[in-house]
Amino acid sequence: MAKTVSGVLASFKYEDSAVDAIKGLKAKGFKDLTVYSAAPNHHIDEALDQPVSWVRAFTLIGAMTGCAAGFGMSIWMAADWPLLVGGKPIVAIPPFVVLGFELTILYGALSTVAGILILSAMKSLKGRAYKPEFSDDTIGLFVPCSPEQRGAVRTFLEGTGPEEVTEHGA
Amino acid sequence: MTATTHDPSRPAMTHAEVTRDIVNTLRTPSRGYYMALFAAIGMFLIGAATFVALLKEGLGLAGYNPPVFWSVYITTFVFWVGIGHAGTLISAILFLFRSPWRTAVYRSTEAMTVFAVMTAGLFPIIHIGRQWIFYWLLPYPNQRWLWPNFKSPLIWDVFAISTYLTVSTTFLVVGLVPDIAAVRDKMTGWRKKLYGALSIGWTGADSQWRHYSRGYLYLAALATPLVLSVHSVVSWDFAMSVIPGWHGTIFAPYFVAGAIYSGIGMVLTLVIPLRRVLKIEHMITEYHFDNLAKLTLLTGTILFYAYGMEYFVAWYSGNTFEQETFWRRAFGPQWWSGWTMIICNAFVSQLLWFRKIRRNLTSLFVISIFINIGMWFERYVIITSSLSNDFLPFAWGQMNPTWADWGILVGSFGWFGMYFLLFARTFPVVAIQEIKEMIPMPRRKGGAH
Amino acid sequence: MSAPNESLDRRRFLKVVGITGAGTAALSGCSTDQVEKLIPYLVQSQDQVPSLPTIYASTCTECAAGCGLHVKTREARAIKLEGNPDHPVNAGTLCSRGQAALQGLYNPDRVAGPRGRNAAGKLTEILWNEAIDQLAAAVKAAGNRVAVISGAGAGTFDDLLSQWVAAVGGKLVRYQAFGHEPVRLASRKVFGADELPIHDFSQAKYILSFGADFLETWLAPVENQRGFANAHGFDGSGMAKFVYVGPRMSLTGINADQWVAPNPGSEASLALGLANAVLNTRTDVPADAAVLKPMLAEYGLDRVAADTGLAPVQIRQLFDEFASVGPSLVMAGGVGLQHRGAADLCAAVNILNYVAGNVGRSVKFGGGVTTGDGYGALLDLERSMAAGEIDVLIVHEANPLYSVPKQGGFRSAFEKVKLTVSTSLFFDDTAAASDLLMPNLHSLERWDDARPRAGVRGLLQPVMEPVFKGAATGDVLLQVAKKVGGALAGFSAPTYEAHLKSVWADLGRARGATDLEAFWRGALAKGGIFEPAPAAPPVRLAATAGEVSGAKPALDGDGEFIFSPYPSSMYHDGRGANRPWLLENPDPVTKITWQSWVELHPETARELDVREGEFVRLTSPAGSVEAAVYVYPGIRRDVVAMPLGLGHLENGRFAKGRGVNALDAIGAADGQGFLPYLSTRVKLEKTGHYRKVAKTEGNPRELGRGITEAMPLAAAVKGLTVKQAYEAAGHPSHEINTELEVEAIEGFRESQLEKRKLGAYALTEPQWGMAIDLGRCTGCSACVTACYAENNIPYVGEEEVLRGRELSWMRIERYFEGGDDGRPISARVIPMLCQHCDNAPCEPVCPVYAAYHTPDGLNGQVYNRCVGTRYCANNCPYKVRYFNWYAYAKKAFPEPLNLQLNPDVTVRARGIMEKCTFCVQRIRGAQHQARLEDRGLRDGDVITACAQACPSGAITFGDMTNPDHRVVKAAKNHRGYHVLEEVNVRPAVTYLAKVVPGSEA
Repeated sequence: MAKTVSGVLASFKYEDSAVDAIKGLKAKGFKDLTVYSAAPNHHIDEALDQPVSWVRAFTLIGAMTGCAAGFGMSIWMAADWPLLVGGKPIVAIPPFVVLGFELTILYGALSTVAGILILSAMKSLKGRAYKPEFSDDTIGLFVPCSPEQRGAVRTFLEGTGPEEVTEHGA
Repeated sequence: MTATTHDPSRPAMTHAEVTRDIVNTLRTPSRGYYMALFAAIGMFLIGAATFVALLKEGLGLAGYNPPVFWSVYITTFVFWVGIGHAGTLISAILFLFRSPWRTAVYRSTEAMTVFAVMTAGLFPIIHIGRQWIFYWLLPYPNQRWLWPNFKSPLIWDVFAISTYLTVSTTFLVVGLVPDIAAVRDKMTGWRKKLYGALSIGWTGADSQWRHYSRGYLYLAALATPLVLSVHSVVSWDFAMSVIPGWHGTIFAPYFVAGAIYSGIGMVLTLVIPLRRVLKIEHMITEYHFDNLAKLTLLTGTILFYAYGMEYFVAWYSGNTFEQETFWRRAFGPQWWSGWTMIICNAFVSQLLWFRKIRRNLTSLFVISIFINIGMWFERYVIITSSLSNDFLPFAWGQMNPTWADWGILVGSFGWFGMYFLLFARTFPVVAIQEIKEMIPMPRRKGGAH
Repeated sequence: MSAPNESLDRRRFLKVVGITGAGTAALSGCSTDQVEKLIPYLVQSQDQVPSLPTIYASTCTECAAGCGLHVKTREARAIKLEGNPDHPVNAGTLCSRGQAALQGLYNPDRVAGPRGRNAAGKLTEILWNEAIDQLAAAVKAAGNRVAVISGAGAGTFDDLLSQWVAAVGGKLVRYQAFGHEPVRLASRKVFGADELPIHDFSQAKYILSFGADFLETWLAPVENQRGFANAHGFDGSGMAKFVYVGPRMSLTGINADQWVAPNPGSEASLALGLANAVLNTRTDVPADAAVLKPMLAEYGLDRVAADTGLAPVQIRQLFDEFASVGPSLVMAGGVGLQHRGAADLCAAVNILNYVAGNVGRSVKFGGGVTTGDGYGALLDLERSMAAGEIDVLIVHEANPLYSVPKQGGFRSAFEKVKLTVSTSLFFDDTAAASDLLMPNLHSLERWDDARPRAGVRGLLQPVMEPVFKGAATGDVLLQVAKKVGGALAGFSAPTYEAHLKSVWADLGRARGATDLEAFWRGALAKGGIFEPAPAAPPVRLAATAGEVSGAKPALDGDGEFIFSPYPSSMYHDGRGANRPWLLENPDPVTKITWQSWVELHPETARELDVREGEFVRLTSPAGSVEAAVYVYPGIRRDVVAMPLGLGHLENGRFAKGRGVNALDAIGAADGQGFLPYLSTRVKLEKTGHYRKVAKTEGNPRELGRGITEAMPLAAAVKGLTVKQAYEAAGHPSHEINTELEVEAIEGFRESQLEKRKLGAYALTEPQWGMAIDLGRCTGCSACVTACYAENNIPYVGEEEVLRGRELSWMRIERYFEGGDDGRPISARVIPMLCQHCDNAPCEPVCPVYAAYHTPDGLNGQVYNRCVGTRYCANNCPYKVRYFNWYAYAKKAFPEPLNLQLNPDVTVRARGIMEKCTFCVQRIRGAQHQARLEDRGLRDGDVITACAQACPSGAITFGDMTNPDHRVVKAAKNHRGYHVLEEVNVRPAVTYLAKVVPGSEA
């Protein structure tokens, strides 16, 4: 078990309370917040307003690689073992389009998933407090801060109408 | 929740209720469930035994009768591939269209897709003459550097099907992760551990949602052209040939429409009983079935048109071979199969013009059975009737299925049912997080947005 | 096939290579389990190079024609029989039955050695000397109460036998089931010549057959077919018209340009009517024919019309045609039309030939052809057997207990004989009932000769070690003679071989040969000595010539239908019934395999309300038979027909209990010296029992698809193409593409041709092609058997044929024309084999390149690469690809049949596709030979098995890029066309349209 990160955890039943809390903390200069929600929630997204995900880069590169691989493989293999079939040219592009297309999709999809995993993993959540109800009907807000700051953060959060606020870490 | 009352796509429930009801579907199953599961396993064993016999004796056990060199196995292969398409259509295409009614049903249809394609994937192996070297169809480096023939539609098939299986599986798994996390948090003991492992550390943190939502969007965007391409490729197995009745430019769209039609038929057959068994009637309502039925009506009508067009072109082309083939399809020795296909697909689907029928689950269920039968026969007719009378009358012949054909067919339903039933008891068949996404969270200050 | 994990160490590999001649089988992973008990050469024999064939000349004994053979042996085993090109009878070709002699040699049901009855009366193995002692003792005891029934044709053995029998004072009956006695009787009656005439088709402009099935079993079928094809095939200027007269269209009948079906029995009247017409119209009739005038005068148009029931206008047309065209050729006396009046019919035909001036030109006497003493003599012997006057009966090369109708008392008479001896190679119906089996050696295992006609002496020589423990009957006779002594003391020759050589030494001396050894060797190498027949004085009308009656012969029974058992071109008199090649090779007319059937006219079937496959019972005073119905438009309404040759009580695993014996429904009574086959009326009744008929045909009509094209003689003479001929006749041609489309197709093809020139595909290799002249093809199916033999094609059996799974790479498609649309019923045939298309649809669809195009234009099929998706077969417009649904080859060659397998051709495993390869093994063989001799390929170096066997020379094969190959000229012929041209697959096989006399196709 990784050592717990020092900070304050608040849970909200009400969407707007959570949004207020996030906005307030950001105003106070707390950048590195972690918000837990059972479903994507655009109010929270607005409050956090983070840049668009880079997943699309993975998708694009993967898809292009796949396309090249598809055509490359079929052309090279046809030329490497040149047999005449049905009086068609040895290297006949039209049929190879299918291969190009399929591999485009395949590589694209796989690299997208890879993208999700890699990008999500880049921000480690190790040791940050979490409660099961966050996957149910509660919004969780964890504010990492030094033991000294905890008191201040706690009092602020209690002002925004949470269900419960707890301090974590040594 | 005044806002939700007039929107049938949103169940009138709180997030907590959603989680509760769906997690409840994973609790100890009923006796009925076990009976169904054992039935499925039994059917699968019949298929397995038949396959062993085929391996031992040879394909001669099946009812092949040259010139009919393909029959029930390829028929069933196309049938299952087709089934798959509805799932991806609903989960990907309707996702891009943001159509609200998909949410409640897409998880189960997506699962159906994966298992249907898994089933279909077996047939290319079962039906070939030397099953033990099926892998020769794959482009793997071997010591004599022999490669497959990429001009062959069968190789396109190999790639299309395997791609489709991979992508639809990925899509299903990705969609599942947040729900598994939700289940994890409701479970205790070893179940908690199991789902914990499967949830690969999902917490629903903003940093995860951010990439997840985007990625999911792109997956949908990739799956959309795929679903259209796969059955086109399958149709080219036939359209690329010179055989009258196969050699048609209409085939790709014709097959895709048929695939979706059959897929939704299967969705109805599966979901109508499922929602009762799992007690989630309040989440999958007649509103959803109404929409499914409309989609069925649309694709069914496209099929109607395609059938008509096939006959028209045969007549209009003046091509005697085409004309003979289609004449025999309707009035030849196996006329009954031809009419089964037309009645079950073209005509029965037209009943769905009536709202009453669309919203009556019993009638829908009955119709869905007709669709399944009809679509199996469509492939049977296209394949065997076209082959049995092509160019040289002297070489004509009719095939008659044998126990080996039926054995494999039954087995394929067992194999599919087995996986689907296990899935329905192990994972949420309704997407928890997407339902929640549609239900707005309570606001202290009240008011909708 | 060998287990996948089986390690292929070097020694095993060499074994495999050793046995297959090529490495292929070792790689293919199949056919290796045939490898057993291999004996390496300790001392390499001089005239034998492993993997190179050694060819021996011999003579065919499958029927009385005495065709010459070239026996192809590999590693000291006969693997294929082909015709001897030097032989005057068959000139290098061979029929199905002749080729199937190999399956007699290697037949698993041959009697493996001498057998005698033990105390319990069961046949048990004995030693040869015991057998000979037993026979000798019996002969000694029997004195002159010895009889021999022999089917052996004229030759040294027959001479020895007759001397032997004469020495003991016994009876010798030379009996062949299909003895054509009526023809011989008629020769005696009309010309006083006691022999069968020889027929020369070459000059005939008009061919007329009264039931003579000269393409099937009548006299010398292979010779007949060659002559027929030459006369009837279009040669660029003209062709003979062929009219067939008989109650049903046999294979010969479907090759006729006109089928005439008079009342059965009234044919003689028609023949005499024709003779009368000639006599009245022609001026060039032989003077002595005048004596016939009064007799012939009776047969005016009205009498003939009354007798035959034919329309006077049709008779008039025949009279006029026949009288105006000459020289002509008229034949009669086929088994299928052998009624009690057969002798009269043949006599009438002799007269017809005589007045038409054919005798001496197209009908030649002086050949001294006989087929023994005939059925009458057999019945005499039966009487003395029944009277207990015979103690020892030796049956040689005959199966009377099968070929004599059961209704007679032959079996009981046979059982009265104290000791019955059979020399049959097979455990046939007669052997099974005999007391002592002394199996002869097969004609490919022994020394002998044959004298089918004057001037022709064919030699038989052992081409390999005997497969079983038989002994040449000639040697048996000599050894018995030594044991018996006394009257037989004269037979001093140590062995039959020595006797034969002494006879040939005399022949040598008679021909002034100084070095007799050289003479003998020369004759052996050539296959015998072939000399022009000694000039015989021209025959003249005998005194008895006028005593010919056209009266209707009597029929037994009062049934509604006339029963016509006819000879099958495959089973002959039943000797073919245990040979899978002949059982699986479909009947050329009905396309039925492995079974007996009853032919009914469609209207008869409608009246009885029976469909194909329903069983009917034929009941006659003599007995009754049951068989499945085949509805055949080519038969008279009042006639039901049935093939002979099946329904054996014994005769091996394939024949025993298969089908029914049509003879069970006819009487055995003598018809003045011959068995009257067509002599019974039968009642028909449904049995309610049904079994699908195992025929290889899907649909009997070609639905105007222009598969078998034909053009009228008028158009052919003008040199019109098929298309032009259609237009000339005002019919739409079968062209689907418009000019523009054709242009587009051509343009596209050009561009493709450029794009595909890569590596080996620079089009520098020869491009193999074939041309098939439908004007010559008769549909006899000899090519099919040749293909089975050459390419190790396994039979699949009745059950699989029912599922259409036969593997005949070469098949003869038979389509009926007319019959239901006012036009007279006729049939066309077309050999269908892999067309080796340039744009083969089967190739691109194969996912693993198992089907691909070789640089020399072949459509290759790589067995060991094939995974069996069967897409190629689906996509083949000609449906000439065949799939191994089971491991057919494993059960199709029960030992020792497997010894016949061609080592150059892979035996295919289960689960793979196979098809015609244009005999690629022969192509490669010829190319290697040419390379050894450091020369290019000449025309004729490569001859495919089918082309080699074809008795009518319809098939030519060669390099399409080499203008001096005959195939190129043939393919350029104006009659040339491609089947399914509109599919644009560019077949390498060109068909030459059939030509039909007259101006209407």
